[in-house]
Amino acid sequence: MANISSGALPRQTASGINTQVTTEAVRVEQLEKFFPPALAGWRSLLHPLMPATVPALRGVSFTVASGEIVALVGANGAGKSTLLRILTTLLLPTRGRAWVGGAEVVQEPARVRQQLGYHGASDASFYARLSARENLRLFATLNNISLGQMDRRIADLVDLLNLGAVLDLQVRTFSTGTVHRLGLARALLHRPSVLILDEPTRSLDPLAAAEFRRFLRDNVIRRYGTTLLFASHTLAEVEQLAGHVAVLHEGKLLAYDTPERVQTAAGAGTLEQSIEKLVRHAGAAS
Amino acid sequence: MIVKRTLRKILSLLWRDLAVARSYRAMFVMQFFNILFGVASFYYLSRFIENSDLRRALPQGGTYFAFVLIGAAFFDYLGVALNAFDESLAEARQNGTLEYLLVTQTSLPVILVGSVVYPFVLLSLRTGVYFAWGIVVFGFPVGQVNWLGAAIVLASSVLAFIGLGVLSASYTLVFKRGNPVKWLFLGLAGLVSGVMYPVSVLPVSLQWTARLIPVTYSLEAMRQAMLDHAPMAILWPSIRALLLFAMVLLPASLAAFTWALRRTKITGTLVHF
Repeated sequence: MANISSGALPRQTASGINTQVTTEAVRVEQLEKFFPPALAGWRSLLHPLMPATVPALRGVSFTVASGEIVALVGANGAGKSTLLRILTTLLLPTRGRAWVGGAEVVQEPARVRQQLGYHGASDASFYARLSARENLRLFATLNNISLGQMDRRIADLVDLLNLGAVLDLQVRTFSTGTVHRLGLARALLHRPSVLILDEPTRSLDPLAAAEFRRFLRDNVIRRYGTTLLFASHTLAEVEQLAGHVAVLHEGKLLAYDTPERVQTAAGAGTLEQSIEKLVRHAGAAS
Repeated sequence: MIVKRTLRKILSLLWRDLAVARSYRAMFVMQFFNILFGVASFYYLSRFIENSDLRRALPQGGTYFAFVLIGAAFFDYLGVALNAFDESLAEARQNGTLEYLLVTQTSLPVILVGSVVYPFVLLSLRTGVYFAWGIVVFGFPVGQVNWLGAAIVLASSVLAFIGLGVLSASYTLVFKRGNPVKWLFLGLAGLVSGVMYPVSVLPVSLQWTARLIPVTYSLEAMRQAMLDHAPMAILWPSIRALLLFAMVLLPASLAAFTWALRRTKITGTLVHF
């Protein structure tokens, strides 16, 4: 398992409690992201050259300790995917800084990519005409895994994620659930210290989603101690998996704490009610 | 170590494209038979229009069939260079693999280079089959070929064309589709570079324009090497021009690509299509 950066940092929770953490896996400081405005008609040609004026993230700060599971929740457009894309180096922040495994996302993107594994919601993310094994071998090579280690790593993950029966079949023949398990295998190939998942169960039926969560919790997080940061709209999933929850609304971080403390601070009975209250309060304040 | 690792990555991307192509077996095989129709068309066109005046007007003499076969075959290298980078980006965007490729420990330039090796390998294979049909069925003359000279001209041409391809990909990265520069350039190059007729038949202004386009030098040198057995001393001015194009275009295109990549990471449109 790759080593995560060390450093004792005070982490401020939404409830104002400072807790001392021994290691940090992800750190986000005053992160801001603006996009150019969407334009219609022929003016859309100018979109790539327009100044970025539309806010997507506004001063988001939090720290994720090593081995923690953190869920990002919020409505569509809250900034969850934008935040995850900045952490995965697919987007550049407008202002602020972020670190993954001690590496800064703008200055050291290659080091960041060594530390993280990523899987998103789409079930079209593989070469459909290639087999699972061929896809995994390609991504293993692109992740600098040597030929000597490659087949053993693939065999381990295939065992772990129960992919043995489909390993030599073309990906186009797979069910959505199997594609997502394969996606998880790809994300874990280089043994990342931080796993970033963007709505990983969005396109799964309830049974497949439950199975996927079980795999994730029992076979990945508990076994390897990997830090998990994931975005989700399914609050049951958040409660089942996450040690901490970050509530985002219109690019702002409304709360960052354990699900229980978020509920207590909001004076609500459930996480869903807590988020509703927080969003309503934020709306009234603005 | 880094060079070895990069080569391994490029070979893996080539293997990926070969494996995908292999999965469409019938199409893969049929394209080589389809080439026969193109070669046959040029042969019969040549028989229809050929006369002694035409033979004298061709720079290397010989048949119009040989002249046009070389022109059409090697002009395709420009087309592939201009399209391959664009298409590899568009394909990765459409099949959803682009963002997963980009979060690997491989830079986008290496991914792009690895993704265009297959189109060039396939084109070279197609060109080989193209000439094989020409030689075996229609009597294309091979006795006069300076193989080493032709190989050096081809390598210099590919280097010069790649710069144009990366520039085209930079445009596509930012503006997504409908690359007017590419189509204008391909159209103009087809008109003035001497694919179907010698550059000398063009008005003077277009002859000057032809000198600004690398493929003109490629076709000129390739015909000299293949039809005249021209030695390196004769080929050198064209090779030098191609290398000069490469020296200017490669750094300029890499700078443009770096800017385009950064711009799409700012606008959030990297994986849009």
